[in-house]
Amino acid sequence: MNIHLNTAVGYIKRSPFQALAALFVLALTFFVGTHLAALVYSSGNILRYFETRPQIIAFLKDEITPEQVSALQNKLTSDERIKDVKYVSKEEALEIYKQATSDNPLLSELVSPTIFPASLEFSVSDLAFAQEAIDEVKKEGIVDQVGFTASLGGEKTLQDVVGRLKTISWYLRVGGAFFVAILAGTSLLVLLVITGMRITTRKGEIEILDLIGATPKFIRSPIILEALIYSSVGTFVGWLLAFLMWLYATPNIVSYFGDIPALPKETLNFVLLFLIILGGELIIGVGLAFAGSFFAVSRARRNK
Amino acid sequence: MIEFKNVSKSYGSIKALADISFKVANGEFVFITGPSGAGKTTLLKLILREILPDSGQIVFDGADIVGLSQEEVPHLRQKIGVVFQDFKVLPERTVRENVEVPLAVVGVNPEEWEARVDQVLKLVGLDKRTELFPSQLSGGELQRVSLARALVVNPKLILADEPTGNLDSETADGVMDLFEKINKEGKTVIMATHNERIIEKYKKMEIKIKEGRIVGQEKVKSEEKIEEKEEEEKEEEKKEEKPKIKVRVEEV
Repeated sequence: MNIHLNTAVGYIKRSPFQALAALFVLALTFFVGTHLAALVYSSGNILRYFETRPQIIAFLKDEITPEQVSALQNKLTSDERIKDVKYVSKEEALEIYKQATSDNPLLSELVSPTIFPASLEFSVSDLAFAQEAIDEVKKEGIVDQVGFTASLGGEKTLQDVVGRLKTISWYLRVGGAFFVAILAGTSLLVLLVITGMRITTRKGEIEILDLIGATPKFIRSPIILEALIYSSVGTFVGWLLAFLMWLYATPNIVSYFGDIPALPKETLNFVLLFLIILGGELIIGVGLAFAGSFFAVSRARRNK
Repeated sequence: MIEFKNVSKSYGSIKALADISFKVANGEFVFITGPSGAGKTTLLKLILREILPDSGQIVFDGADIVGLSQEEVPHLRQKIGVVFQDFKVLPERTVRENVEVPLAVVGVNPEEWEARVDQVLKLVGLDKRTELFPSQLSGGELQRVSLARALVVNPKLILADEPTGNLDSETADGVMDLFEKINKEGKTVIMATHNERIIEKYKKMEIKIKEGRIVGQEKVKSEEKIEEKEEEEKEEEKKEEKPKIKVRVEEV
């Protein structure tokens, strides 16, 4: 084993409670960090879904002709603000209704296609255009009513839905980042204290190494390596616990959100997402370890 | 090998060394002697660049070490093996690991470690104690570990600061025999000591320091010179004994 790694492992073995304290704090930080990262990812995806896919439905009057429908469809298609224009006939509307009520076949048996209005469904390229598009379509003579599919809980306009999601997302990001920053700060302090203690208890050893010609890098290496071991193991343990929780909860989350891609539905993509989070966290963990040990070493050198 | 040119060093108002000049050639064995506080340790610290002189030059291996940058100091120390009075071995490492540390410091290929460590441990007589920890060793053995650690990187110069200070005379002789053996193999040895018995017994070049000044510098004492001195001492003793006999005769 490399002499520095050997020394660092020796330090850890000789003070197991110190090591446990450091690992616990770091694991907690990255446990929360992993949850936050996954939540930010999910909320971002949900928000993007509603922002980019606002399904606006223009219900058409019963007495319209196919030519009138075609004319409006062409008009909407040629509008740069509008995309994915689709005509849904009365029969298709009934099919959609049947699918939506498949758990209760009685409901679909009682209805005929005539009671469903035909409609033109479309989305906008940018949410900012949604309200004006709705207003313009409402003025069309063949249009009876205009509605939108997204609704979270009593919102009256599409902006209300997206606005509410943006607020939730903002609170999640800012609140979570604040919480994680406090935990990361605590982790940094713990690493700093442990490294400082290590330098104090190893003062004699450092002095001997210095006298036999060890470079500052050589002297620092096991101390920094020890901090790196704490941070990488702490990061991995915190991440693993959070990952297992998400893995357990994902089937329920996916079925709750349905078409909304809150989390990747494919296992490979799901694992990939969490591996990316782990990678990011390891970089942050290594950064914390370097920062903590460098602060402690430079402080010790100043006090020499 | 090493030359001090008008070196002075003060600690506040206390003058530790005053205008010291001397030369030590390659392969020499030199005792730096003098009472406690004479400046012996300061002199060794200057060679190791632990401290800087107030004035003067210290030339080691052709280069003035006073002007070395902080980054160059470890490289200077890697060329010097140091043995301390209090051994300064690493307490949580075995004998073998203690001797391996300088090899790691210098950057020797780990594949070579075992052979080199075995060689020096055999030289100092610790080849059967390689896996013991310092707490399991005697003072003499600890000093041997310290010496093995100093030797393993094959340094040009060995500095020893009172290496026998904490040892009984028999163990001290054993350690001194090792230093002599090393010196005979071509290493330069500079040893600070105030042990008169050792100085007399090992007949080496001696630089005497008192209150920071060199008060005497003796070249290697030849065996003839020592025999002469011993004869002189015997004659003096005889002279002192004669009157006593006379007195006794008178008394009888």
